[in-house]
Amino acid sequence: MPKVSMTVNGKSVSAEVESRTLLVQMLRDKLGMTGTHVGCDTSQCGACVVHVDGKSVKSCTMLAVQAEGAKVTTIEGLATGNELHPMQAAFKEHHGLQCGFCTPGMVMSAVELAKHNSNPSEHDVREWLEGNICRCTGYHNIVKSVQAGAKAMAAAK
Amino acid sequence: MNLSGEYRLPLPRRTVWAGLNDPDILRQCIPGCEDLAKVSDTELTAKVGLKIGPMTAKFTGKVTLSDLDPPNGYKIAGEGQGGVAGFGKGSAVVTLEEDGSGGTILRYTADSQVGGKMAQLGSRLIDATAKKLADEFFGKFAETVAAPASADAAPAPAQSAEAPVPAASGDAGGLPQSVWIAALVVAVGAVLWMVLGN
Amino acid sequence: MAVDGIGAAVRRKEDFRFLTGRGNYTDDIDRPNQTHAYILRSQSAHARLGKIDASKALKAPGVVAVFTGADLAADNVGGLPCGWGIKNKDGSAMHEPPHPVLAVGKVRHVGDPIAVVIAETLAQAKDAAELLKVELSDLPAISQVRDAIKPGAPVVHDGGPNGNISFDWHIGDADAVAAAFKKAHKVAKIDLVNNRLVANAMEPRAAIGEFDRATGDYTLYTTSQNPHVIRLLMGAFVLHIPEAKLRVFAPDVGGGFGSKIYHYAEEALVTWASAKVGRPVKWTAERSESFLSDAHGRDHVSHAELALDKDGKFLALKVSTLSNMGAYLSTFAPAIPTYLYATLLAGVYTTPAIYAEVKAIFTNTVPVDAYRGAGRPEAAFLLERLVDIAAAEMGMDRVEIRKRNFIPTNAFPYQTPVALQYDSGDYFATLDGALKLSEYSGFEARRAEAKKRGKLRGIGISTYVEACGIAPSNIAGALGARAGLFECANVRVHPTGSVTLFTGCHSHGQGHETTYAQLIAERLGIGLDQIEVSHGDTNKIPFGMGTYGSRSLAVGGTAVVKALDKIVAKAKKIAAHLMEAAEADIEFKDGKFTVAGTDKSKAFGEIALTAYVPHNFPLETLEPGLDETAFYDPKNFTFPGGAHICEVEIDPDTGVTKVVNFTAVDDVGRVINPMIVEGQVHGGVAQGIGQALLENCNYDDSGQLRSGSYMDYTMPRADDLPSFKVATAITLCTHNPLGVKGVGEVGAIGSPPAVINAVVDALKDYGVRHIDMPATPQKIWAICNSGRRAAAE
Repeated sequence: MPKVSMTVNGKSVSAEVESRTLLVQMLRDKLGMTGTHVGCDTSQCGACVVHVDGKSVKSCTMLAVQAEGAKVTTIEGLATGNELHPMQAAFKEHHGLQCGFCTPGMVMSAVELAKHNSNPSEHDVREWLEGNICRCTGYHNIVKSVQAGAKAMAAAK
Repeated sequence: MNLSGEYRLPLPRRTVWAGLNDPDILRQCIPGCEDLAKVSDTELTAKVGLKIGPMTAKFTGKVTLSDLDPPNGYKIAGEGQGGVAGFGKGSAVVTLEEDGSGGTILRYTADSQVGGKMAQLGSRLIDATAKKLADEFFGKFAETVAAPASADAAPAPAQSAEAPVPAASGDAGGLPQSVWIAALVVAVGAVLWMVLGN
Repeated sequence: MAVDGIGAAVRRKEDFRFLTGRGNYTDDIDRPNQTHAYILRSQSAHARLGKIDASKALKAPGVVAVFTGADLAADNVGGLPCGWGIKNKDGSAMHEPPHPVLAVGKVRHVGDPIAVVIAETLAQAKDAAELLKVELSDLPAISQVRDAIKPGAPVVHDGGPNGNISFDWHIGDADAVAAAFKKAHKVAKIDLVNNRLVANAMEPRAAIGEFDRATGDYTLYTTSQNPHVIRLLMGAFVLHIPEAKLRVFAPDVGGGFGSKIYHYAEEALVTWASAKVGRPVKWTAERSESFLSDAHGRDHVSHAELALDKDGKFLALKVSTLSNMGAYLSTFAPAIPTYLYATLLAGVYTTPAIYAEVKAIFTNTVPVDAYRGAGRPEAAFLLERLVDIAAAEMGMDRVEIRKRNFIPTNAFPYQTPVALQYDSGDYFATLDGALKLSEYSGFEARRAEAKKRGKLRGIGISTYVEACGIAPSNIAGALGARAGLFECANVRVHPTGSVTLFTGCHSHGQGHETTYAQLIAERLGIGLDQIEVSHGDTNKIPFGMGTYGSRSLAVGGTAVVKALDKIVAKAKKIAAHLMEAAEADIEFKDGKFTVAGTDKSKAFGEIALTAYVPHNFPLETLEPGLDETAFYDPKNFTFPGGAHICEVEIDPDTGVTKVVNFTAVDDVGRVINPMIVEGQVHGGVAQGIGQALLENCNYDDSGQLRSGSYMDYTMPRADDLPSFKVATAITLCTHNPLGVKGVGEVGAIGSPPAVINAVVDALKDYGVRHIDMPATPQKIWAICNSGRRAAAE
C-alpha cells in the first residue's frame, strides 16, 4: 500500500492507504479527523469540503495519494483554541446551522469565498454555495452568516 | 424506455453481411468489447467494458435470437449483468434493407429496461449514451469493413452471407453466424442494454 | 424573565462543537475491534429469491461472515413491526404482511436487503459482496398506485385478501356530504398528485451494533430521532432482547425530517450480527443506498370536490385518495394518510360536512412513511388548491373566499366534522399579517412591471392549520396507535446547583440543548452555562418517545415544566426547613427562595447543596436529593396555523420559475427562542418550495428508481431560493402550561400550495387550472409554448 504524507492543519501526517482511498477517507478513517463529513457519493453535497493548498476542494473527489505533499486545512484547523474563526463565529451569531452536518463543508467553502470577496452580495453567496447542500436552514441564515463572516474576516486582517 | 432509429451504411448489403461474419471486426467495432463467444446457434455471450456517466463497469451477458424472417428481420432479446452497476434487458425488432443506391438501411425499434445503479444514477444518460455508442459502432464498422472488402475477399463473404441464410432457417437447423452477428451489431447500435448484453 | 429565559434569541449552546468539527455523529464513532457491514440489495423491483451462494464471498480476503434471511430465520429473528393498525371500512384489520429484516422468498423493491457481508474493512466487504451468487427470477412489478389497483396487476404480497390494498379506510359523514352536494350552487373539482419525496437528511443513516460477552449486554449506536422507540421495537419484536440488556444510543444526528423515526432493518442486523461474530459491526449508508432504503414521503393521488353555496360558503367536501405504502408497512406508515391527513381536511374553514376515503396501496417501491409534515402537507395542498379553483369557479377574490369561510376567532374551541377539536387560533390575524408583510396590495403593479420585462409574475396564498404535539395517548390508542405518545423529563439538580436535564426527546438540529435550557433558566433563575441537556442514550434517560410531529416543546417541554414544578416544590420544602418557616410562606423568584414578608432568603445553589448535605434534615418528612422526573401525556393535539404567500416570476422562454418573495406568518403558540423558531420556518419553507418546484422521487414502470442521487433528485440549493419574510402572530395553546404549539413542520405544510397557487396565477393567461408538483421548467415551458402556438394560430 502506498504511503501518503501531507500537512493537515499544520501538522505533518502520513498513513499507508490503499490506492483507491479518497482524501476524505484518509482524514476520517486513518487520521480520526471526523469533522469532515460525507453526505453523498456523487460529489454534489459539499459536506466534505476542505482546503488543499488554500483552495476549497471536495475531499470525496480527490484520492489521498493526490494530496501527497499538500497542505490540507479541515474544519478542525480553523478555530484558535476555543476562539472561533470569524466565519465560524458568524455562523453561530446568525444561526447558520441546525443539525451541523453540512456545516463543516459550508464553513470551509464560505472561508474561501471570503478570501476572494470581502463584501459578497446575497447573490454572490448563493451562487458560490451552489455546491453545498443544506437540508435544515433553507440557506436564509447561512447567507446572512457568510456575509457577516466575510466582513469580519476582512476586518480582522 | 423505448428507442427507435435507423442507420444508412454506405456499403452494399452483401458487404455488410460479409463484415458481420467476422468476429474480429465486430470485436474491434463494438465499443469496449473484450470478448465475444458463440454458445449455440441462437445464443452468444460477451464481455464489454462501458462508461455511463459517472459509472464504469464490465458487463457480461447473452443475446438470444428469435422470430427469424431472413433476410427481412428478426427479434433479438438480450440481458447483461454488470454486478453492482446493475443490469439491462430488453428486446428489439430489426430490419435490414437495400436503399437502392448501393447502401444498406438498418432500422430498429427497441424496448428495454435498465436496473440497479445504472437506472439510479444514469437513467437520464442512457438514451444519449445508446445513441453515441451506436454512432461510434456504425462509424467504425463502415470504416473497418470498407477497407478489407476492397482488398480481397469480397465475393467469398458475399457467398457465405447471402446463400446460407434461407437454407439455415430451413433445413440446416442452426442459425448462420451472419444472422446472430448482425443481430449483435444491431444490439450494439440500438440500445444500451444490448451493448451491455453483448 | 431571566436574561436567557423564555422569549430570548439565545445563541445556541450546541453550535461550538458543530462549528469546530467536534460533533459526534454515528459514523464518527469507531469501536475497538470493529468490523464493517455491506448490505447486498436487490436491483430488481420484484423477483423470486432463490438460492444464495456465499461460498466464494466467504473465501474473499477479510471476510468475517455472510448472513442471509435464512440465518435470521434460524435464529428466530422477527420481522420489522408496524406501530399503527388501521381498520377497513367494514371494521376488519388492515393487511399487514411480514417485513423480514433480510428478504425471504421474494424481493419487493429495488433496495430490499438480501444479504449482509461483514469484513475487516468496508472495501473488503464490498468486494466480497460482488462474489455472492443470488438466484433471482424477475416478476412483473408496479410502482404507481393507479396501476397497482387495476385487475390483474402484479401482487406485491402473495395472498393479500384484497390484492395490493393494505386498507380501505374512511372518515366523515357520507350521507351529509351527498345531501349537501345536491344543494350546491357550484362544485369545484380537482385531481391531483402529491409527489413522492425523499427526506434526504444530510447525514446518511448509520448503525453500529456491539455485544458485550461479559455481561450479555447489547449496544446499538444509531441515527435515530427516538432511541427508546427503537429499543422497544427491536428488543421486543425483532431480536427478543430484554430492554435491560439493550442500550440504544443516538448521538448527534444530522437531520431527520421523519426519516429517522422508523426502526430499520440495518439496526436489527448490526445488533444481531455483533453477537454472531463477537465483534462490533458498523454500517453506514452511502447516499445512493439512502435513496433505496430510507422511508420516502407523500405519494398520494387524489380526487376532491368542494360544494359551495351562491355566496361562496363551503357546504361540503369529499375526497378520495390513493396512498402509496411502498412494498412494506413502515413503522408509522398507516397513520400518515389517515389520522394525520384526512382529519385535517377541514383546514381553517367551517365546512360543515366532510367525507374522505383513503386506500393504502402496496407497490414495488421503497416503503413510504412520515416526512416533515406527514399527512398535513398533503391535506393543506389539496384543500388550498381546491379553494383557489373554487374562487375561480365563483369569480371570487382568493382572499375573500378564504376569509368568508374561516373559522371565526371567537368560535374556539372548534369541533371539526373530522374528529379534531382545535383549541385556539386566529386565521384572520395570520392572513392579514401575511398580506401586509408581503405587500400584497401592491402586487398588480409588480405583475405589470414584470410583464414589461417579458416575465410572468404570479402570487399565491395558502392558509393552513396542522395538528402536532403528537399526541394524547388515549386518542392515539383509540385510533390504532400501538404505543403511548407521552414524553418524559428528568431534571437533576447537582449539589453545586448546576442542572442536567435528561429528556426523551431528541435533537437533530432543532436546538433542544438551548431551548430546554432556556426553560430551566427561566424557572430556576440560573445561567445557561449551569445547564446541560442530555438526550439520546437509553441508559441515561427515562423512557421517552422522541422527536417528530413537532412535539418536542409542546409535549417534551411540558414534561420539563412538570419536572421543574416538582423540583421547585421540593426545593421549597428544603428552604422552609432551612429558614425555619412554613412551606406555604416560601416564595421562589429569580433564583431566590424567600420567606414571605421577611428579608430571609436562600439562593437556589444553597438549597441544592443542602439537598445533598442533609445534616439535619427531618428525614421522616424530607428526603435528601433534588432530582425529579415527570411524564406528560397531552390532553389534545396542538394546532399551529398560518398564512403563506408566495410570489413567483416565470420566464416563458425557459419555463424557469423563480420564487421572488416568500412570506410566512405563522401561529406557533408561545415562542421560547425566536431565532430558532425562524430557522425552523426557513427550513420547512425551503423543503416546501423544493417539493413544489424541484423535488420528485421518480420510479419507472418497472419499479426502478430513476432519481436516486443528487444528480437527478433536485435538492433545493442556495441559488434556488430567496431570503424569506417570516413573522409570527400567536395565540396560545390552551391546554399546556407554556402555551406552545410547535414549529417544526409548519413551513413544509403551508408553503407548497402557496407556490403552486402562485405558479397557476402566473400562468392564468394560458388557461392553466392546475399544475402538478414539481412544477418543473419542462412542464411550464410546454404550457407557455403551446399557449403561444395557440395564440399565433
